[in-house]
Amino acid sequence: MKAGEGPAAGDSPADSFPTVPPAGTPDGFRKDRHPGRRSRREGVIRAVWFLCALFAVITIFFIFAFLLLDAYPIFEEIGIWNFLSGPVWNPTGTPPAYGIFPLIVDTLLATLLAMAIAIPLGVGSAIYIAELAPYRVKAWVKPAVELLAGIPSVVFGFFGLVVLTTWIRVTFDVPTGETWLAGSLLLALMALPTIISVSEDAISSAPREYKEGSLALGATHWQTISRVLTPAALSGITAAIILGVGRAAGETMAVLMVTGNAPVIPEPIYNVLSPIRTLTGTLGIEMGEVPVDSTHYYALFGVAVVLLVITLVINFAATVVLARIKRQQAPSRPMCTPQEKAAPEWRERARAFYRDHRGQLLWGILAVSLLAFFGLIGLAVAAVLYLVVRFVPPMISPKWAQRIAFSLAALCVIIVLLSLGVILYDILSKGLPYITWEFLTAPPSNLGREGGIAPAIVGTMYLVIGSIAISLPIGIGAAIYLTEYARQGRLVGIIRTATDLLNGTPSIVFGLFGFAFLVIYLSFGVCLFAGQITLALMVLPTIIRTTEEALKTVPVAVREGSLALGASKWQTIRKVVLPPAVPGILTGTILSIGRVAGETAPILFTAVVFSTRFMPSSLFQPVMALPYHLYILATNVPGAQGQQYATAVVLLGLVVAFYAIAIWIRHRSMARHPW
Amino acid sequence: MTETTIITTNHVNLWYGENHAVKDVSMEVPDRRVTALIGPSGCGKSTLIRCFNRMNDLVPGCRITGQIDFHGQDIYARETDPVEIRRKIGMVFQKPNPFPKSVYENVAYGPRIHGIRDRGRLDTIVERSLRNAALWEEVKDRLSDSAMGLSGGQQQRLCIARTLAVEPEVILMDEPCSALDPIATSKIEALIDELKQKYCVIIVTHNMQQAGRVSDYTGFMYLGEMVEFGSTKQIFENPAKELTENYITGRFG
Repeated sequence: MKAGEGPAAGDSPADSFPTVPPAGTPDGFRKDRHPGRRSRREGVIRAVWFLCALFAVITIFFIFAFLLLDAYPIFEEIGIWNFLSGPVWNPTGTPPAYGIFPLIVDTLLATLLAMAIAIPLGVGSAIYIAELAPYRVKAWVKPAVELLAGIPSVVFGFFGLVVLTTWIRVTFDVPTGETWLAGSLLLALMALPTIISVSEDAISSAPREYKEGSLALGATHWQTISRVLTPAALSGITAAIILGVGRAAGETMAVLMVTGNAPVIPEPIYNVLSPIRTLTGTLGIEMGEVPVDSTHYYALFGVAVVLLVITLVINFAATVVLARIKRQQAPSRPMCTPQEKAAPEWRERARAFYRDHRGQLLWGILAVSLLAFFGLIGLAVAAVLYLVVRFVPPMISPKWAQRIAFSLAALCVIIVLLSLGVILYDILSKGLPYITWEFLTAPPSNLGREGGIAPAIVGTMYLVIGSIAISLPIGIGAAIYLTEYARQGRLVGIIRTATDLLNGTPSIVFGLFGFAFLVIYLSFGVCLFAGQITLALMVLPTIIRTTEEALKTVPVAVREGSLALGASKWQTIRKVVLPPAVPGILTGTILSIGRVAGETAPILFTAVVFSTRFMPSSLFQPVMALPYHLYILATNVPGAQGQQYATAVVLLGLVVAFYAIAIWIRHRSMARHPW
Repeated sequence: MTETTIITTNHVNLWYGENHAVKDVSMEVPDRRVTALIGPSGCGKSTLIRCFNRMNDLVPGCRITGQIDFHGQDIYARETDPVEIRRKIGMVFQKPNPFPKSVYENVAYGPRIHGIRDRGRLDTIVERSLRNAALWEEVKDRLSDSAMGLSGGQQQRLCIARTLAVEPEVILMDEPCSALDPIATSKIEALIDELKQKYCVIIVTHNMQQAGRVSDYTGFMYLGEMVEFGSTKQIFENPAKELTENYITGRFG
């Protein structure tokens, strides 16, 4: 052994055996002279990610604080109970009435019907895409669904306003098509991509072994899907549905444009052709025109608080459900732990009762809720459903069951794609002829009836770039902290809860918060920067969540393999954990970009003006934005239908371009990391 | 007891894309015996038994020629239902793969999908299958706990119980002990010895001692070809081919 070949620690026992190579750093390896510096670096990195994660908590705290602060006067003035249960909402009447009961009911109804449409369609489509679609079909159906997710809500609203409501008015022969049904149909369409994508991921990632194990027992493909894969993916599907509910309950623009906005409870309660007004719609309509610090202003913040509470309850329920399912499927739960043995007898009995009578319980709940909604007819429907479900399936052979189920799944996909096709065709065919060079490069004139939309395009680009630049590093950092560093503890629990809550917060609430905090309190005024921050906050949870999911799919064995080679934690994360997670992170970023580019509600009161002739020269000037421009054109400017359609085309085109690039990148990296 | 042939393969070839994984294999598998397939990694033995219950159908780009008969019925004939074949020819995989359900639901899964709904009958089947898989005593008090909480050896026996519950005629085992410790392995081996009273067992293993211990017949495969097939005694004590002898005596592999 040559002198100086090994490090100082070279005189290890290995030295006494000349044939054994010396322990220590092999030739050509970088020698780590400063292990202390390395560990300090690791510590700093860890701290940075921790701060990112903490950011979500701080944000949710601020949102709460500012909303409550501004809502407090109304609760004080008329009382919380009167506010919640008051049957009339008429803030501009004499005397003004601030009762939001009808708004709450309408919000729940709109969400309920939307989910009744979207859940079966979404889960059916997910099953088709994950398990049944031939490779080539899958290769273009999946991007098509993602495209549906990218259609901005204001475009849905615009389509609903000019096409869907007309269709409803004519088909059902009602005085106006602006109804609950129109709102719920749009909401269903908007919730579908989320439900489909997330469920499909969950089903696809159910371990292959389950499928093989089931098929090897002689199960048909459909039996395998319905009894093994779907249950195994249940937590993912539940998450998908909850995300969908969140999207539907918190959606503002599309609903506001097609529901007629009459603050009444439908009569009778299942009359889907009645106009309704949701909590979000109220905020969207009235917030812009109310004087700051008036009773009406406070009442609107009260509405926002209620909206927030409703969505938080939904989210909380979701978290509980997910935790339950996770616990049931937990792989390493030690059996017969002492605590479990010590569980009181009544709980054991209740659990056993639930296990044995789960079916009956569910049917009972269904029957009661149908009864509540539709009266005796509902009860009859429940009875018929029960008989059908109870006695028909055993009469169908597994083979026929499979055929029927697969046809239905294919039908779901066809319906979804057809909806997408109709919307795209309508908008493109009517909008493309109006797209001219002038339209793209000139500022608007005559209230947008003439001229172009160049400032709006630029404004939207600024908003997207700024908000993603803020939210992407923070979001990825927070996700890295939560999956790689955090040990389960109270703090992590709080951070995770805060992220979940932030995720369920409706976009219009972000708008209100941005207005109260950035525009008024920090005196930013209505400006680009306020919009960017508001949008960044809005997409932060999406980025955190999808990044977390992506990091979790990287097997532990890979991390251990890297650590066992002497790599540091951060090296391991950077070199072996992050690269395969890139496609997942990109999926999250795609969804975020789509939302940012198309969202109207958060910028409504924070960043936009309808018309400006100049490009913003600093972050503290207001901008035009495409979605807002389309909204105003569609609702407030008669005689600009060509410009409306053309603006919709440009907005769509912009989003599609973002999507196409991201999908392409993901596709490429997907091929390289096959697990 | 006289031997009857249950599975016959006739010049079976299999390709994964360009890769010729099984080459011209012809063999006869006797009923109620244990047949072992041995050979070095990648020799095509797992691929071959996956042909017997058409699990290779799931692999994209997989192509098969030749004929495999089960009770004289061509497994790959157009009118043959792979689902029916798999009910009669069960499979236990290398890595234990219980479903993320309770112990009870794992075993009851097969009978349920084949149309048994009566709780009493299911209880009987579950208990019998778990007993036959030598697992009953260990799990009888925690049937409703998640199967994922069992040890590796218990999980594998659960997978065997799950297979037994649909009352197949043939049980394919693809290296069932490779992920298990010696004690769990010996339990599974004892179980295999029991199972051959009622079932035809085909086991893939790269552990020669295991093949010697549990099997009545042994096939030695190498690079996709069936080099030699015969009684275990003959293969281990008096192999006809030099290649087999080299492998058996550990000179390569």
